[in-house]
Amino acid sequence: MSFIIENAPLIFQGLSLTIEITLFGVFLGLVLGTILAIGDIYGGKVVKGAIAVYVEFFRGSPLFVQLFIAVYTIPAILHVQIDHLSLAFLLFGLNSAGYQKGYVKGAMQTVLDDQMAAGLSVGMSKVQTLRHVILPQAYRIVIPSWTNEFCSLTKSTSILAYIGFIDLTGAGNSIIRETYNVLPVWVVIGAIYLIWITAFAKLADIIYEKKKIPGVEFMMQ
Amino acid sequence: MTNYVMEAKNVYKTYCVKGEEKQDIKIVEAVKDVSLQIRKGDIKLIFGPSGSGKSTFLRCMAMLDIPDKGEIYLGDQCLTKPGVDLNKARARIGFVFQHIYLFRHLTALGNVELALRQVLRLPKEEARRRALDALAEVKVTECVSKYPSQMSGGQAQRVGIARALARNPDIILLDEPTSALDPELTGEVIDTLRDLAKEGTTMLIVSHEMPFAKEVAEEMIFYDEGRIIEIGPPSLFFNAPNTDRAKQFMTRIINKTTR
Repeated sequence: MSFIIENAPLIFQGLSLTIEITLFGVFLGLVLGTILAIGDIYGGKVVKGAIAVYVEFFRGSPLFVQLFIAVYTIPAILHVQIDHLSLAFLLFGLNSAGYQKGYVKGAMQTVLDDQMAAGLSVGMSKVQTLRHVILPQAYRIVIPSWTNEFCSLTKSTSILAYIGFIDLTGAGNSIIRETYNVLPVWVVIGAIYLIWITAFAKLADIIYEKKKIPGVEFMMQ
Repeated sequence: MTNYVMEAKNVYKTYCVKGEEKQDIKIVEAVKDVSLQIRKGDIKLIFGPSGSGKSTFLRCMAMLDIPDKGEIYLGDQCLTKPGVDLNKARARIGFVFQHIYLFRHLTALGNVELALRQVLRLPKEEARRRALDALAEVKVTECVSKYPSQMSGGQAQRVGIARALARNPDIILLDEPTSALDPELTGEVIDTLRDLAKEGTTMLIVSHEMPFAKEVAEEMIFYDEGRIIEIGPPSLFFNAPNTDRAKQFMTRIINKTTR
């Protein structure tokens, strides 16, 4: 098992990249997903249609295809130089938003009817009610789905290898190329994924329990 | 300058209800040419069969439902004109819901404080003080830091009344405030409303609490099939209503409550 110690810096570097891009992606996805959810609930036909196209594109095509499209077309269209890694960060957020829109919208709809009327009745605007009443409740509901999104995104970062960046899986690959130690390397890499994801999911669970509104069990289908 | 706190002029509202099958859409004419004036200090009570559109009319008064036709006035201001800041108008109208609708993620104090902070923009200390005053007024000080799900129905509805009261609105509209509660809990809410009545709070109440109506209402409004059928003091309805429909309804409801 000496390969672990010898390659510890590489493994650590890979793990940090995986963690960074996942956290960024899930966070940006939540922000954009919320905007999309609100647009889908309150928007007109055109807005709703555009959001549907957006969601189907990001859910329906493979992430690595999206990555190539992003890398080869966005700088050309926008006439700007953006490094590939930044584009990958952005793409993870855009992709995650496609999934999270559905989670946030579903959560909002479980509280929207009565809570919006209540918010308007005290003189708050729709925006104020969304901000102070609807979203605080919706985000509490969304935490478990959000954890799933985090788990699946963590394991998608290996596509960074296509544009020459080394995440945790990439680190495993390069160690194998040097040591030919296939199974032990993957067992170790797998264990690292497992520990990190389990720890994060546990943390999310704790937050979910802590933030739960006393006596209210929300049902998400 | 009008001397009405609120006025409805020839208000109409219809809405669609989707049935089991996709094609059966029922159009409900909930409000048909309804006019009503409320003066400062008035306590008026709307009653009538369920499904007759009373709640929809009340929601139109608060502009929570926008009328199809007709005008709603809050003092001199016409709320049904385009371009009116409805949020500002609603801040001057208190509304109490049949199913209470407290903000589920906030304590009783949070429920009352929120609008004081966000709408009236009061500083933290003052908002807290006024929220506590309002909660004391409806006698739920024991619930200050409880969440809606931890309260009894009666307590929750009194918090709902405190939430409506705290902004010192021009009028409070109450939509069947006791009908979703267990019978033994309606008393405490009625007591609260009785206190408000004594203080001269302007109220428009949809309710079937007949003894309460007799005691506090200056005027009762019998509402059926989207229209005001008969209007008059409680004595009129309890003795001899003019219309057959009101007569029938009163007989039914009085038999039910005395049985």
